[in-house]
Amino acid sequence: MYLTDEEKRILDGEKGEIAQRSMQFLVEYGEAAGAERLIDLDGTVDLHPLADWVPKYAVTLDEIKELVKKGERFKVPTFANKPVAPGFLIDGWEKCGLPKNSDPEYRRKNMEALQPLIDMGMIPIFSCNYYLVSSFLPTVGQHCAWVESSAIPWANAILGARTNFDGCFHTAYLGKVPAYDMHLDENRRATVLVKCETELKSDIDYDLFGWAVGEAVNLEVPAIVGIGKPTTSQLVKMNSALNTGGQVRMYHIPGLTPEAPTVEAAFQGNYQRELSITRADLRRVYDKLNYATKVEVDFVYLGCPHYNIYEVYQAAKLLEGKKCKSLLWIMTNPSSYQVAERMGLRKIIEDAGAVLLSGSCPGALLETPPMRVMATDSAKQNYYLTGMFYPEKLDVWYGSMEECINAAITGKWSGDWR
Amino acid sequence: MAETKKIILKGRKVIGGKAEGEALVSMEPLMGWLNVNPQLGCTTERNHPLCGVSFKDKILVFPTPRGSGGFVSYGMTVNYNTNPAAFLYTKGNNLTIFASLVAQIPTVTDFDQDPLEVIETGDYVKVDGDRGIVEVIKRAV
Repeated sequence: MYLTDEEKRILDGEKGEIAQRSMQFLVEYGEAAGAERLIDLDGTVDLHPLADWVPKYAVTLDEIKELVKKGERFKVPTFANKPVAPGFLIDGWEKCGLPKNSDPEYRRKNMEALQPLIDMGMIPIFSCNYYLVSSFLPTVGQHCAWVESSAIPWANAILGARTNFDGCFHTAYLGKVPAYDMHLDENRRATVLVKCETELKSDIDYDLFGWAVGEAVNLEVPAIVGIGKPTTSQLVKMNSALNTGGQVRMYHIPGLTPEAPTVEAAFQGNYQRELSITRADLRRVYDKLNYATKVEVDFVYLGCPHYNIYEVYQAAKLLEGKKCKSLLWIMTNPSSYQVAERMGLRKIIEDAGAVLLSGSCPGALLETPPMRVMATDSAKQNYYLTGMFYPEKLDVWYGSMEECINAAITGKWSGDWR
Repeated sequence: MAETKKIILKGRKVIGGKAEGEALVSMEPLMGWLNVNPQLGCTTERNHPLCGVSFKDKILVFPTPRGSGGFVSYGMTVNYNTNPAAFLYTKGNNLTIFASLVAQIPTVTDFDQDPLEVIETGDYVKVDGDRGIVEVIKRAV
């Protein structure tokens, strides 16, 4: 891989041992990727705090503290996704009822550990959909290093920024990434036309559609037509499912996403095939996600990706004046939690016996309430949690927010989708 | 006596080194994060044909990754000595690269022909990561 003179000097250790180690990581990574050079980031970094991709290049907390003392800062605007190393709750942890996560000492210790990163300039948004609330986003064409299933297509497709799945300390500290895959024009062109031949009506229709497309195209870049005018909630769900049912990190919606004013612009002569998604395809995914037999529901989880403020509002309205028989968690991002508090939504949710939390999810906490049967409106959380329980079986129901809240109120699943 | 047939695949090195062993072929993409268990050394994805099947010491062949950046947990298997002997895949991205960088096991991709069309579970496979060459000795029929 070609390195500039300055990059070679960093690799030789002229800028210190941490910069050298970070450059060693980028060089080994770039060469494994077949990248020809590094690229300077002019957008943003989104990272899971303290989660190193490759342990041998890990930078320790003490090392970060030393860098802070020397006045060193991240090269580009850097945002914290949800903590995963380890995962812990930002708000509502006192009420979560989990042995580890309701322990004030556990919470204090984990939050304190992130302080050196915040001192380096990391902005503590702490959310998987940080892009909805960060108040600072990359613009079209800017090079970024992000993480998280729903965030990667948000950056590439919705914003027209350019990112692989490689946000981390090293990329933020050096402000560089290997130039390959989504950073290069030729890999961003659509190859497959996806025609949606059913009307997408509800939020979960977009979740099901995203999964069906993801399974059908996997790493390809689709140009998607016929999906109407999705809301923000629907786009977040679709992106999360596109990058769980498959590995769609870039797509075009001609007329909606910035790199494709037209179908021709999406393909730029690279058309290879087309496929249709029908109601039957969505039904097949729906049946796959309803992996349950027992109707008595122990635990209802809403907020994967983290609920935006409007979803919290919708959920609170459904709960107003009701009482839950089953445990219900509603997870939002920490920013929206504050707004929900100001609106009185937290109180409505808690008066119904449910819990409003922020900054994590059962999969990231690796700790769940005792349960055998769960319900959720998220294809992603649904499909991963059963893996966490293996070899034990977790029964999991899938349906709309309304159906999930109804299950929490009645204690029983009665969802049906058409 | 059963006949053996030898096939050579040429690909691009991701991680160098040599390994050989029996192939375990996944015709479906592999998914990481909570759907791989490094301690057990297997995928735990429900509905996956290889759910619960150990890939320890196998030449693990798969089409693509899918899903979360937690795919890197396929590399974390080295911490539990449950790791495959090598990774061979049709097409990857940084998720497969990070898993290989963590495991430091021979990894080859971008082949001259699709490995899923050539290699079957049970074939004996020799991987030369540095040269990107994979020798497939077909199971005796």
